[in-house]
Amino acid sequence: MKLGVEERWDLIDRISKETVTFGVYRHTLKDAIGELTIKPMTGIPVAIAILYGFWSVFGSFAGFFTDGFFVRLFDAYWLPWLQAVFPGEGGWLYAIMVDAGGIESGEFVLSSNCLESFGVLTSGLFVAIGVVLPAILIFYLMLAILEDIGYMPRLAVLIDTMLHKIGLHGYAIVPTILSLGCNVPGVTATRILETKKQRFIMMTLLAIFIPCGAQIGIMQDVVPDLMGWILLYLIIGYFIFGYILNKVIPGRAPEFLIDVPPYRRPMLSNIGKKVLGRVKGFFMVALPFVMLGCAIVGVFYQLGVIRFLGDLLAPIFVGWFGVPAETAGPLVAAFLRKDLAVAQLSVIEMTKYQMITAVVLVSIYFPCVATFVMMLKEGLKELIGALAVLAVTVFLYGGLIHLIGKLLGVA
Amino acid sequence: MKILLMGHPNVGKSVFFNRLTGANVTESNYPGTTVDYTKGWMKIEGEDVELTDVPGTFSLDPKDRAEEVAVAMLHESKDVKVISVIDASKIERGLYLALEIIEEGYPLVIALNMRDVAEDKNILIDAENLERILGIPVVSTVAISGEGIKELVSRLKDAKPVKVDDIIANAAKTTITADAAGAGGAT
Repeated sequence: MKLGVEERWDLIDRISKETVTFGVYRHTLKDAIGELTIKPMTGIPVAIAILYGFWSVFGSFAGFFTDGFFVRLFDAYWLPWLQAVFPGEGGWLYAIMVDAGGIESGEFVLSSNCLESFGVLTSGLFVAIGVVLPAILIFYLMLAILEDIGYMPRLAVLIDTMLHKIGLHGYAIVPTILSLGCNVPGVTATRILETKKQRFIMMTLLAIFIPCGAQIGIMQDVVPDLMGWILLYLIIGYFIFGYILNKVIPGRAPEFLIDVPPYRRPMLSNIGKKVLGRVKGFFMVALPFVMLGCAIVGVFYQLGVIRFLGDLLAPIFVGWFGVPAETAGPLVAAFLRKDLAVAQLSVIEMTKYQMITAVVLVSIYFPCVATFVMMLKEGLKELIGALAVLAVTVFLYGGLIHLIGKLLGVA
Repeated sequence: MKILLMGHPNVGKSVFFNRLTGANVTESNYPGTTVDYTKGWMKIEGEDVELTDVPGTFSLDPKDRAEEVAVAMLHESKDVKVISVIDASKIERGLYLALEIIEEGYPLVIALNMRDVAEDKNILIDAENLERILGIPVVSTVAISGEGIKELVSRLKDAKPVKVDDIIANAAKTTITADAAGAGGAT
């Protein structure tokens, strides 16, 4: 037999009267902290402080290990050693695996660091282990702590009003923050949003505007002084295009109800397991892609494909986006690996503003292959829609950034 | 036989899953951590049994994709037992979902999880009495520290389908005896 909703609640009432005793409610310290972090007056400053703390720990930890340890290890020992022992210097295999080198006054010279060499075993390994590993390790560690304490739902409540402007609600902060680690779980997490419209907006914005841990790590390493501007452009883009998508796409954007769980002391074992699991998951996906991407990019360079595409697209890059013609190569290569592309960009001569534009372009213009596959799983129609939005967005936003630069007189 | 872990979001289903199977499913303190199901194996009296960590759902009437996954899991599985995980500090609405599942004829055990949180809030639950009214095993647990997990597993064999009529009758009966005794029923 099935009960109606009313009957069911009646029965539950009777059962709970029999079995549950409610004592006097005591206002505990936990409750007080809980309230302070959720009321806008006190909660917003706390949220800003927490996010700022998150960012500074991230930057200094990743910087410490990357610059202080891995850069030295790779540039002073690994690269020269490989350059010496790998056979066939100057050949195509050497170029792909170790060092493409450069031509200086008519002579072939080897690269001096792992960002310029572009080899699978040099740049590829360096980016994956030296840059990305420390970045995502610290990111996931801090994320796990925030998650297990129970802070995320409070952040969701605080940011709710703002996210409503772009057709989402506060809980969209969960996929957004997860995507900062890796877009793949971010895309899966969009399932907590109720309507198709919300999921589409969220997925599209994630794929376009949220750089993953690998990208942030490499940006932090090669263009640390420009990070602020790059992130600002990405955040502004997230809201501008979210606002437009919300107006254009039909569908509902319902309110959200959330249970804000009590704060809890995080369990060390759970945090450890979670961080290790996520880092492992990331590497199972990322490491093969970095190496393979690096190899394919190397092959394309050798075959002249990238030069050809670069020449073909150069007028758009130079005229519309205002970046130097040399960036065409990395920008094309970024279809395969965004982190490598940023590394490649960093060794090209250009103005600061051009660098900001180029890095923002790399971030926004194509989801990585793994994210692409994940979006396909969530629906082909959505994926095609997202890609259409993406193409328009890159073109418009790239042009807009160039225009802003012109108006400011820096481009 | 299969076992499904079901309950509201953020009641600790994934914690149970990890404890019972030794797996590593992501656990967090926010609703909606699990959006897809995960399967694992656990041993019950020497026998391997498949256990599924189902995404949290408030009722069997799904409101989002994650809930759709949850409800579909229940309806598509044959020969299942359900571990209904309930947040002991919010027992009423947990019972709502549990009753819905009972009404559809599935055998059930109830894990009254987060007993510690409930006690913090000064909420005491008479698990024995609840078990008598519902006619199914009810076990108090604190999953993150492992409390009550063994008992839960040992009681799985007692899970059986019950008729809602019987539950209604039991609830009425205890009310009368409690009234007659002039006490609140809680012990």
